[in-house]
Amino acid sequence: MLELLRKYRTPLLAGCLILAALLLYSAQLRQRETTNVFERTVLGLTAPVQGGMDILADGVAGVWNRFLGIFGNSPEVLRLSAENRRLRSELVQLTEVRLENERLSRLLAFREETESQAVPARVIAEDASSWFRTVLIDRGRQDGVHEGMPVVVAEGVVGRVIKSAASESKVLLATDGSSAIAGLVQRTRARGICRGQGNLLSFDFAMHWEEIEEGDLIVTSGAGGVFPKGLTVGTVSRVSPGGFGLFRSVEVTPAVDFYRLEEVLVLLKERR
Amino acid sequence: MTRTLVYFPLGFIFLVLQTTLLPPMLPLHFKPDLLLILVVYLGLNEGYVRGGALSYLLGCLQDVFAAGYPGLHGLALLCTFLAVRGAAARLNTESPVLLLLLVSAGTLLQAALVLFALGFFAEAGALWMIILKGILPQLLLNLLAACLLLRAAAWLQRRFAPRSRVPGLRGVGRHYGS
Repeated sequence: MLELLRKYRTPLLAGCLILAALLLYSAQLRQRETTNVFERTVLGLTAPVQGGMDILADGVAGVWNRFLGIFGNSPEVLRLSAENRRLRSELVQLTEVRLENERLSRLLAFREETESQAVPARVIAEDASSWFRTVLIDRGRQDGVHEGMPVVVAEGVVGRVIKSAASESKVLLATDGSSAIAGLVQRTRARGICRGQGNLLSFDFAMHWEEIEEGDLIVTSGAGGVFPKGLTVGTVSRVSPGGFGLFRSVEVTPAVDFYRLEEVLVLLKERR
Repeated sequence: MTRTLVYFPLGFIFLVLQTTLLPPMLPLHFKPDLLLILVVYLGLNEGYVRGGALSYLLGCLQDVFAAGYPGLHGLALLCTFLAVRGAAARLNTESPVLLLLLVSAGTLLQAALVLFALGFFAEAGALWMIILKGILPQLLLNLLAACLLLRAAAWLQRRFAPRSRVPGLRGVGRHYGS
């Protein structure tokens, strides 16, 4: 027996190591909604390094982009582009408010919308892997940021906080494969779930008889309790025919440019 | 022990590069997996216990900055290390081309392990599609990064420690550094 163990020592050792790692991974999955001590410590220790590196990266990226000639826009064009985005976002929000007002007036139970408390944060790092879509922001528990809080920009939904350390938090972007946001088509009120597909989103579980067209705006429905109602998620870019299936296949282009995320807002309290 | 003290900070530097400096320079969220290259190098030059422990620790460190599944990359990098270590006994580990070949195999293996670990134990969502679409660019990016790292390592060795022997770098100067 001992000789057998000695003979197969290496494969046995490798097997034990894999089994131990698998068990640890499986056990930790149960607590994946919370931030453990190891994660808090590492995030806390690396926050200053990454903050400094982010400033350096901005400089390097600026030089690199000028070198590639990708962004040859003048400051005036950039300013007008930003203003255009802001105005479009305001228009979407106003449309949503108008529709909501009409419904609530009919029900004689109008309640004024109140703005959420929000904390501005800077994106300081991206996901270490190419397969996942998360970012690190420079705000954490000491700023009131906790797991589950929604993160937005003027254009719409960014994602939600999944890990939170003292001064740094990890945000799961809406485009991540495991992200799901309850949404609805603003024009027809058709409901569905926006799931991340890497760079795009899919609008799942929309019934095949629902009227959905290219260019329709998808907003958050407020269901699920994470995102406030009426935030822009994206625009329908492709609708496949319903066929004989129960649900339609809808592709959504996110409203937020996730490649140029710099500053975001963490909503500390849900908007009602 | 001395080598461990080199590998761990090196892994940390690679992680910081991967999360801050490289993403703004590369399109479509792609970034080279420098930790994977380091783990393949560990597989070629370190023993089971030290290399395995280091790979798992580096993977856990990567998990803090990637996705939301603690232990996922720890498991993937440990398995990659063990696979490379097992194969290394039958191969000429001093060949730099072997490192590139193993980096390619390691990229595919890691992607498969991530899919397995998420598919069987967690909610993978559309991840399989994201991985399938991105596997080829990721593989090319990892190969390019491995070539550049080999050149940089050979240059650093010649410049700062010409008489020392860094494992796996014999002959690299002839192929890549000159």
